[in-house]
Amino acid sequence: MPPIKPADLQKIGRQLANRHGKEYWRSLEALAEQPAFGAYLEQEFPRLAEIWNGPVDRRGFLKISAAAMALAGLAGCERQPPEYIVPYVRMPERLVPGKPLFYATTLSATGTGVGALVETHEGRPLRLSGNPAHPASLGALDVFNQAAILDLYDPDRAQTPLFGGEPAAYSRFEAEWRSRYTQLTRQRGRGLHVLTPPLHSPSLAAQLQALLAALPEARWYGHTPLERGGALAGARQAFGQPLEVRYMLERAVCIVSLEADFLGDMPGSLRYARDYSGSRGVHGKRQDSRLYVIESQVSITGAKADHRQPVPPSQLDPVARALAARLGLPVSPPVEQPVPDYWLAALARDLLTRQGQSVVIAGEQQTAAVHLLAHAMNARLGNLGRTIEYYQPPLPSPAQDLAELLAAIAAGEVETLLILGGNPVYDAPADLDLATALPQVPFAVYYGPYANETAAVCRWLVPAAHPLESWGDALAFDGSASPAQPVVQPIYGGIEPLRFLAELRGQLGAQPRQLVRDYWQSRYGDADFDAWWNGSLHDGVFAGMRASAVAAELRPDWNKALPPLPQRQGMELRFAPDPSLWDGSVANNAWLQELPRPLTKLVWGNAVLINPLDAAAAGIAQNQLVQLAHGTWSQQVPAQLQPGQPRGTVTLHLGGGRSAAGRVGNGIGVAAYRLRPAAQPWFTTVQLQPLPAEQQVITTQHHHRMQGREQQLARTTTLQELTAEAARAAEPQPSSSLYPEHRYNGYAWGMLIDIDACIGCNACVIACQSENNVPSVGPEQVRRGREMHWLRIDQYYKGGLEAPKVVFQPVPCMHCEKAPCEYVCPMHATTHSSEGVNEMTYNRCIGTRDCSQNCPYKVRRFNFLSYTGKDALTPAVIGTHNPDVTVRSRGVMEKCSYCIQRINRARMAAQKENRRIRDGEFTTACAEACPTRAIVFGDINDPAAEVSQLKSSRLNYAMLAELNTWPRTTYLPGVRNPNPEIARHEGQ
Amino acid sequence: MAQIFSRQANLLTRLVLASLVLGLPLAFFIGGAYYRSGWRTGQDVIRAQPVPFSHRHHVGQLGIDCRYCHTSVETSAFAGLPSTDICMSCHSQLWTNAEMLAPVRQSMAGDKPIRWRRVHDLPDFVYFDHSIHVQKGVGCESCHGRIDQMPLTRQAESLLMHWCLDCHRQPERHLRPQEAIFTMGWTPPADQLAQGRRLAEAHRLDRNVMVNCSTCHR
Amino acid sequence: MNGDAETDRPLARPPLLKPGQTYATATDQIAAIVLSRKTSKGWWLCFGLSSVLALGYLLGAPIIFSYGPGLFGINIPVAWGFPIVNTVWWIGIGHAGTLISAILLLLNQKWRNSINRFAEAMTIFAVIIAGTWPILHLGRPWFFYWLIPYPSTMGVWPQFRSALVWDFFAISTYMIVSIIFWYMGMVPDLGSLRDRARKRWQQVAYGLLALGWRGSVRHWQNYESAYLLLAGFAAPLVVSVHSVISLDFAISIEVGYHSTIFPPYFVAGALYSGFCMVLTILVPMRKVFGLEPYITLRHLDNAARLLLAAGLFVAHGYISEFFTEWYSGSTFERTLGWSRITGPYAFAWWITMFCNVLVVQLFWFKRVRRSPWTLWVLSLVINLGMWMERYVIVMTGPARSYTSGRWDVVWATLFDLATLIGSIGFFFMLMLLFVRFLPAISIFEVRELVREQKEEGAP
Repeated sequence: MPPIKPADLQKIGRQLANRHGKEYWRSLEALAEQPAFGAYLEQEFPRLAEIWNGPVDRRGFLKISAAAMALAGLAGCERQPPEYIVPYVRMPERLVPGKPLFYATTLSATGTGVGALVETHEGRPLRLSGNPAHPASLGALDVFNQAAILDLYDPDRAQTPLFGGEPAAYSRFEAEWRSRYTQLTRQRGRGLHVLTPPLHSPSLAAQLQALLAALPEARWYGHTPLERGGALAGARQAFGQPLEVRYMLERAVCIVSLEADFLGDMPGSLRYARDYSGSRGVHGKRQDSRLYVIESQVSITGAKADHRQPVPPSQLDPVARALAARLGLPVSPPVEQPVPDYWLAALARDLLTRQGQSVVIAGEQQTAAVHLLAHAMNARLGNLGRTIEYYQPPLPSPAQDLAELLAAIAAGEVETLLILGGNPVYDAPADLDLATALPQVPFAVYYGPYANETAAVCRWLVPAAHPLESWGDALAFDGSASPAQPVVQPIYGGIEPLRFLAELRGQLGAQPRQLVRDYWQSRYGDADFDAWWNGSLHDGVFAGMRASAVAAELRPDWNKALPPLPQRQGMELRFAPDPSLWDGSVANNAWLQELPRPLTKLVWGNAVLINPLDAAAAGIAQNQLVQLAHGTWSQQVPAQLQPGQPRGTVTLHLGGGRSAAGRVGNGIGVAAYRLRPAAQPWFTTVQLQPLPAEQQVITTQHHHRMQGREQQLARTTTLQELTAEAARAAEPQPSSSLYPEHRYNGYAWGMLIDIDACIGCNACVIACQSENNVPSVGPEQVRRGREMHWLRIDQYYKGGLEAPKVVFQPVPCMHCEKAPCEYVCPMHATTHSSEGVNEMTYNRCIGTRDCSQNCPYKVRRFNFLSYTGKDALTPAVIGTHNPDVTVRSRGVMEKCSYCIQRINRARMAAQKENRRIRDGEFTTACAEACPTRAIVFGDINDPAAEVSQLKSSRLNYAMLAELNTWPRTTYLPGVRNPNPEIARHEGQ
Repeated sequence: MAQIFSRQANLLTRLVLASLVLGLPLAFFIGGAYYRSGWRTGQDVIRAQPVPFSHRHHVGQLGIDCRYCHTSVETSAFAGLPSTDICMSCHSQLWTNAEMLAPVRQSMAGDKPIRWRRVHDLPDFVYFDHSIHVQKGVGCESCHGRIDQMPLTRQAESLLMHWCLDCHRQPERHLRPQEAIFTMGWTPPADQLAQGRRLAEAHRLDRNVMVNCSTCHR
Repeated sequence: MNGDAETDRPLARPPLLKPGQTYATATDQIAAIVLSRKTSKGWWLCFGLSSVLALGYLLGAPIIFSYGPGLFGINIPVAWGFPIVNTVWWIGIGHAGTLISAILLLLNQKWRNSINRFAEAMTIFAVIIAGTWPILHLGRPWFFYWLIPYPSTMGVWPQFRSALVWDFFAISTYMIVSIIFWYMGMVPDLGSLRDRARKRWQQVAYGLLALGWRGSVRHWQNYESAYLLLAGFAAPLVVSVHSVISLDFAISIEVGYHSTIFPPYFVAGALYSGFCMVLTILVPMRKVFGLEPYITLRHLDNAARLLLAAGLFVAHGYISEFFTEWYSGSTFERTLGWSRITGPYAFAWWITMFCNVLVVQLFWFKRVRRSPWTLWVLSLVINLGMWMERYVIVMTGPARSYTSGRWDVVWATLFDLATLIGSIGFFFMLMLLFVRFLPAISIFEVRELVREQKEEGAP
């Protein structure tokens, strides 16, 4: 993407400032096409240079002589190497070679438990999908937990204990610890300090409690980069006790989000997404539900909002007070706050008319004040107990924090330090310098999965086992507990957390399975425990183990707790969890690094997000390096001009700039933590200074406008238009042909994608990647436009740069009945199956690429170089390869196959029983992972099938129907439900 | 001046020209023949195995059912090779000291699996499923030949793609009744084609699906 | 008398040969280039230069074969790049030969006689190079032979609906026919070379190639009829080959590809670039080998006229294509049209217009048509223009395709440039070898001209 001159941007700003209606504005690059043009040519020559740093120079001349062989066509006749069959010595029970086995477990990549099913082949864990029986999943699974399967095989995981950086035997650690432990017990634990991330596992918490009980004078500190102290503090101020919140969005028809990204990074987002879309009655059958979002960043929740107000982070509090005042709460409204009055007034009226079915949600990262106000407003609106429940935090949390630990170290009190997980050296706030403090600790032990930044400054590293290698349990966002069971022996000899903690207490050789079992026996009781236990393991949930709701009374003097209004000064820097890298702990995961972030479409690195208008004012161009400075701290970050970014605010995502993540994650992006003050973890003031240098930001979509193709591409409408029948889409009927149309007698597979339900969360993209062996190709190839994702999410903007509306459109292969790709292939490599699936036969493909040239949707992907072989640029992780899907070699085309392997499996199963495949018997990987069930797949020849039902909607439309390709994948339009008052004001 | 070329030159030239005309097709023909031959396809080639297992003895003479060892043939894509304990279920009693069975005993004792050389090796991009064939009227013999007459196992058919297609295009020529699936030396009835069609009907075979590329290639 | 005939007889058609040529002089001079004349410095210079350039192609190709087409500047959506552009360009260049030899022969245009031989050679080398590009462009080139419909063990045939298969047939047919045509035409001359050769190896070599040509009446009879037949067979190819190539684009639905004007438009373009290349080689060659007596200004003039005609046709193509984009009213077409003149690839479009539409207008002036070196420079310009035209066609459509969310552009890599330039070097290398070792001008056909000239010249 070429840089854009500030001048152009002011022009754009003027053009688009208040433009409304259906026309989509041109993407920034497109607008500045002429000035950009010169820049394109400049870009050319670096690229020429790069190709030499590309694959070639690394390999010898041998390859070239091999090419001569290829020229002679000999490669075509080469034999397969001899293969061997190695049967079991004793066949494990219930294992049928060639058939997958599924186990239920619980994953917690984002800090709360989510139920998952693990697919294993001959004992090899292969794939993760959601557990329909689990309340936090209901069958869906988020990107982080899905991608965890890749970490299981990550060769960069710590493979042995390290002593001062040198490999050492675990027995040696045990010996050292035993002596130290006896001494500690003598001094009742004085000098022992334990640092942990927030706990989410009851059994583990119990172990820790036992340790601390055995050593009463030991001290326990907590640290997490995703600081959510505000939530509990707010609850304490409101109700006199810290309470966790459970929202019941399926009952809420008027939702106000005070920067609560409940579709994205909030705990329980999968469940909330399902409930939310349920409350909107997606798939065209719309109820009158409405979502208002006030936020200081760009989030997918904001993208789905019916009304969105971007405000600077410091202004959330004033806006919340203004709203509370309008709801008649005893709060003095601020003199000035950024949200226009008509907007708040309309919102307040909407809320008051829907008391008891509305909900005000404060974001996890908000201050106590905002949470307090949210609780008050919900109480005022009578939502408590109707759309909101409260429950006691089930697990103990540490009393002290990182700052106090540093003080203790400085005071020399810390003789022994146990860091149980996390990565504080990397993700501690900038003013807490652990890197220099930790080496002062005589005996520091880091227990974690990677030899990361923290391990580097500790005396001992004890490798932790992967969740799929460990016994355990976890609490979900709603306080319900579920078991976690290992599906494979520790591949790299990691130590299971329960065992480690038990051994710290001197219980050598403790059996984790026994520990977790005993814990739950103590909770459940002995009566028919075995049946309950086995049932729970099988279902993946502990039946009846859910934190019960408590009645919460708003304290009468709650408003006394409100702090004085924060003052706003200058440009504000908002920190946010990275939509693909979370807090950076998963930075070594190639799938996640290459996963296009929603809205920014960034991959392989982060950037400072700034509103194009602010950028123009500051003279900052796309890709230009910007110096972010806060006090004495500063970082140099490339700029990404982000429409919808609040004015006066820049966002920098956490999770970049790892130095010891591993071969994939090292040096990708910039570490936001180095700018983060401990006092204000989520936003701070910042000085921007454009530098005379450029660093290209890698994105997967360069163009975000529809060029007047709204009807052909991604349709949107409003509930008013629907009900007024105004927007009845005049569907261009497929023109009739001279030839008799083909009849599909057997099955006819088809897919429906509901743009209204799609929240752009990327779960489908990762699901597809792990199901279909889609390779990651690395930053250089993505920059050249060669990413391989079979399923992409196109995203278009509507409206001005300040607060544009966003449309997400997932685009897999359309499986056209009259497919343009098929007739141009000289090899019959892409053909039409008798069931209407557009097949891609890799072994017949010679790579002319004519099919892609002729595909109007550009959904085909090509192996331009070897992306999977031994000489691959980013070597594939063989362990996760799905044995039912061919691994594509260099030079072949590939694309979405409708998960043909699943279709075939289902068809064979049905044929063996001489029956038809039942609707819902199987579905594609993307549909399976989707939290809002926006993707529906099935047999459109079966009128009863859900997909046929939905396709019968009058809103159902085919992308680019006028090309007469007859896609099997069709869409339902996005439907917004604007508040009439606000709409009138905005002249829509 | 002296002639440059002798008389034979004419003949030579003609021969050269002729061989150009005839040679190319001939080379093509020979190449095709080689490509279809056992040298290339491995048909009828006997591979050395850790244990010289004789199907003729076990199937032909003892009459052990295929499924006794190939346990998953009816349920899974992979027919399954017997785990060592299946071998030992008999050979812990019989031929307990036979020299040729030493590898099996060692495998059991040392918990080391036996490495059998694969005889029927399809390319990795071909997805063959035993269970569906066995359940839809294709006999073991149709692809594996008279296994009961093989002292040492060999690949009975070429396994070339057009060989697969021959049957996928006209299954009725090979389908057999369910009870004959595992029998060797089954002789098709006089009205095989008619019966084959009846069976195809009963099995609800969809011929269009059977020749979809994605039926075997994914 | 000497100098151009026109100076003293302005109205008469200038002669095809410098006057004063006899059978003997003609034969001697032409044969001498091959047999006795010492290789000139100019030849060595050109040969050295072109073979150095050729390395880019001869080394680049194997590297690309071993690492894959990813070394070219291509991506999704723009999955076709330089290789396809080059294919079309080279095939175009390969068109002049057959036109001159076959069609002008059938039209009994005598002036062709002194230039047809090397024009055919040009064709063959150009087509051979063109043929390598689509293979170089493949993802798995070693399977290209699957395009041949032979009874394979897979029981699958190529898909005959695909234009790429027709391509394969078109190009290979064209290559075979032109080679036979070229060789047949040379046989009599090879005969005379054999007879005049003094060195043993020359006698043997040309002797073998001459296939025992004795120049007997019977030989001549067979020869003439066979040559005419072949000409008749080759003539349609001139039209068909590039039409088929154009269908790669025309039968697709991609914006900017799907256009019914392509076949005639491509053929015109082909002749255009073909004649350009003829001039590009003709002008220096007649100088270096002193062939002015046989390749006179009249030849250059005629070539230039043809060039002008083709140029106007091509211009018409551009106009109507642009008109259609606007007239279709399709938002896709219009966006593309606009992007062509203002978008990222605009530079290529403007270069095309300048070279192919503006520059060629100079050929209206006799002075330009008659000054060799001006022609030479202009021919280079137009060659560039024709390459750019193909670049525009191939790149702009996919870059601004239907799904605007997938718009993207790609730029040339080192390999794109090296192999393209290398292939040009390779081409000239072959041409130079040809000129050095085979009769670049048809001796016996020039003899015919001599006879005619005599008859004309007789008072």
